[in-house]
Amino acid sequence: MKACLAAMLFAATLLCAAPRPLVLIFTRTDCPISNRYAPEVKRLYAAYSNRVDFRLVYVEPGLTADRMERHQTEFGLAVPAVLDTDRKYTRMAGATITPEAAVFVDGELIYRGRIDDRNASYGIARAQPLHRDLDEVLAAVAAGKIPSPRFTRAIGCAIEPLK
Amino acid sequence: MKLLALVVFCLAAQAQTVTFARQIAPLLYQHCASCHRPGQAAPFPLLTYEDARRHATQIARVTAQRYMPPWLPVPGYGDFAGPGRLSAAQIALFAEWLKDGTPLGDPAQLPRPPDFHGGWQLGPPDLVLQMRQPYHLTAQPGDVFRNFVLPVNLTATKYIRAMELETGNARVVHHANVIVDPSRLLRKRDGEDGQPGFPGMEVDTEVTGEFEPESHFLFWKPGTQVQETPDDMAWKLEPGSDLIVNLHMQPSGKPETIQAAVGLYFAKQPPTRFPMLLQLEHDGAIDIPPGAPRFTVTDRLKLPIAVEVLAVYPHAHYLGKRIEAWAELAGGKRLPLLRIDNWDINWQAVYTYRKPVALPAGTTLAMQVIYDNSAGNPRNPHTPPVRVRGGDRSTDEMGHVWFQVLPAGGATDYDPRLILQQAIMRRRIEKYPADFEAHFNLGAALQALGKPEEAIPFLSDAVRLEPANATARNNLAVSLAAASRIDDAARELHQALALDPGYQNARYNLARILGAQGDSAGELKELLLYLDAAPNDALAQDLAGRTLASLGRLAESIPHFRKAAELEPGVAGFEINLGAALAKSGDLKEAVAAFENALRADPANETARDNLARTRAMMDGRR
Repeated sequence: MKACLAAMLFAATLLCAAPRPLVLIFTRTDCPISNRYAPEVKRLYAAYSNRVDFRLVYVEPGLTADRMERHQTEFGLAVPAVLDTDRKYTRMAGATITPEAAVFVDGELIYRGRIDDRNASYGIARAQPLHRDLDEVLAAVAAGKIPSPRFTRAIGCAIEPLK
Repeated sequence: MKLLALVVFCLAAQAQTVTFARQIAPLLYQHCASCHRPGQAAPFPLLTYEDARRHATQIARVTAQRYMPPWLPVPGYGDFAGPGRLSAAQIALFAEWLKDGTPLGDPAQLPRPPDFHGGWQLGPPDLVLQMRQPYHLTAQPGDVFRNFVLPVNLTATKYIRAMELETGNARVVHHANVIVDPSRLLRKRDGEDGQPGFPGMEVDTEVTGEFEPESHFLFWKPGTQVQETPDDMAWKLEPGSDLIVNLHMQPSGKPETIQAAVGLYFAKQPPTRFPMLLQLEHDGAIDIPPGAPRFTVTDRLKLPIAVEVLAVYPHAHYLGKRIEAWAELAGGKRLPLLRIDNWDINWQAVYTYRKPVALPAGTTLAMQVIYDNSAGNPRNPHTPPVRVRGGDRSTDEMGHVWFQVLPAGGATDYDPRLILQQAIMRRRIEKYPADFEAHFNLGAALQALGKPEEAIPFLSDAVRLEPANATARNNLAVSLAAASRIDDAARELHQALALDPGYQNARYNLARILGAQGDSAGELKELLLYLDAAPNDALAQDLAGRTLASLGRLAESIPHFRKAAELEPGVAGFEINLGAALAKSGDLKEAVAAFENALRADPANETARDNLARTRAMMDGRR
């Protein structure tokens, strides 16, 4: 609040606006499970990016910006992305899997887990997901609601420790 | 003393540390690297220490869940070739290695990486057939099953000892089945929805009059060693057939193109041993109520002859849970042949027995498939569950266990596969009393075994079940003729030709029947029509020559005899008939040449020798 008040003193209302909700989507270039979610990530970005900030978070150690951008181009992921070389985002969200999503509202983690429940386990995929968890959370957040924090289990590739 | 004890303790701990060099690399090379290497199906390579370290958590996790390496059969139920599944102790090594901090260990202990080479595993194929156009696979999730038609551009029959598939995009092609379509009927569906190929999880080819049972699993899965069939068991590929490549593709998340090619390797000579695929199934009994967690389908087949079981291929769709197959030997002993507790269509495979399993005559092959149509089955394609019946769409179910068997025992004067075919079709009729194919195939098998009287009721039933099927009528006619029911045979052939005027086999048979009825003019008319369509049938040319000769039209007969002799040089009979016609029409010199040709082909042929002598005498007489 202090920062905002300070901004108000300079009459910059834009700077003063409450920070937008943020969704981090953890991914790695060589994870087939997160890659298969590219169409769904694109759909969510198209639906909610006017109200929610998106960041694709690439977690592979040693990944270069070039390789990351090439992956985004290949998969048509025109979504803002960061290289989490020091695992800052991973730690902040407590993410362990790709794909895994973390949603923050006012700096508070209100959701972490699967994008949807298409994958029931390794190699066991439903024809259609029963629950589109991230979509539901983003819809609520975009509508200005703050859902109570929720955590689900994501199925995918492990975020390997840095060494 | 205290210090010494500590040192010993440290050494012991050191000895137990799991390292990449000593334990992990050998496991990865044996069980993972065939797919986990550049250009192959797996998403990342697992060849180096760095590769493994970067995925150590994932490796420990997926091996613990037995998702990787994929191997469905339960140990102890069939002894199969291949690396098999990891033991519990091997799986524990991955977890230990992760816990120990993924150490490299002593590089001197590293095994040599496997020697993979790119491209075709068996070297350049003798024939490569490629999809004419690439198929574009969407990024949207959901499995795609699609069939691509590859015309076989051969000029002569070939025998195939191995088949490889080069998908052009290993990451998305999960497995493939290749079907031979001699009828070329499936190509009509090619491009029906504007994209190359046509959709469908299963395809069926048309029944033909020939007994040419499926003999090999033409199955391909990434990362597996190509199975080479011994030359003496190669499978036949006729010119003019189509290969249908049935691909199971899984979208990757981005648009992909696939342009698969089939590589074929020819055997040096035709086969002398003929395996056959036996199918256990009862799809007609699949009618699973919504919510049923344990619906069971069974089938059995008593083997009329001794066989060796070479391989097994189980198949079900998404509701299939448990598949088991076994043999019941005389005396009630049960021999396990396969058990899969967690069926997964994505990892279906052909399993080859390390050693062929010998089963004596009288053994019963049996199978059981259990389906889970509850909401608790995440693979259930329907939410909420619906009633599911047998069928070939991915939302229908199937339950098949195919065995590749080789009839045992020595040479017989009949094809032992016909005896198996009889047993299969009799069982099929028990399951499906109104099944056309079963009646037709049983009749055809009995006919081929020289039992026309037994064949006639089944072929008659086939005609009754499909009155518009010209092939069935033609086959019935052949059996009727063999049972000396010439008039009935003629009636069936006339009907077959009314149904399909271009059916040349029926026309040839009709010509023979008319000849048998003494109607030489009718015989000749049908034969000449037949020869318009099939001028390269040497037997028919010879027959036309004989018919013309019997009608006293010698001059017209000669070109037919000559054509037969040209088409199949070295057949004494053709040359003798040609020589006789020439001699009768006064061309003695040419007649001598023909008889001499006959003798060259068959030096012991007395007719040729007599005719030659007589013709020479006639020539001498003229002089």
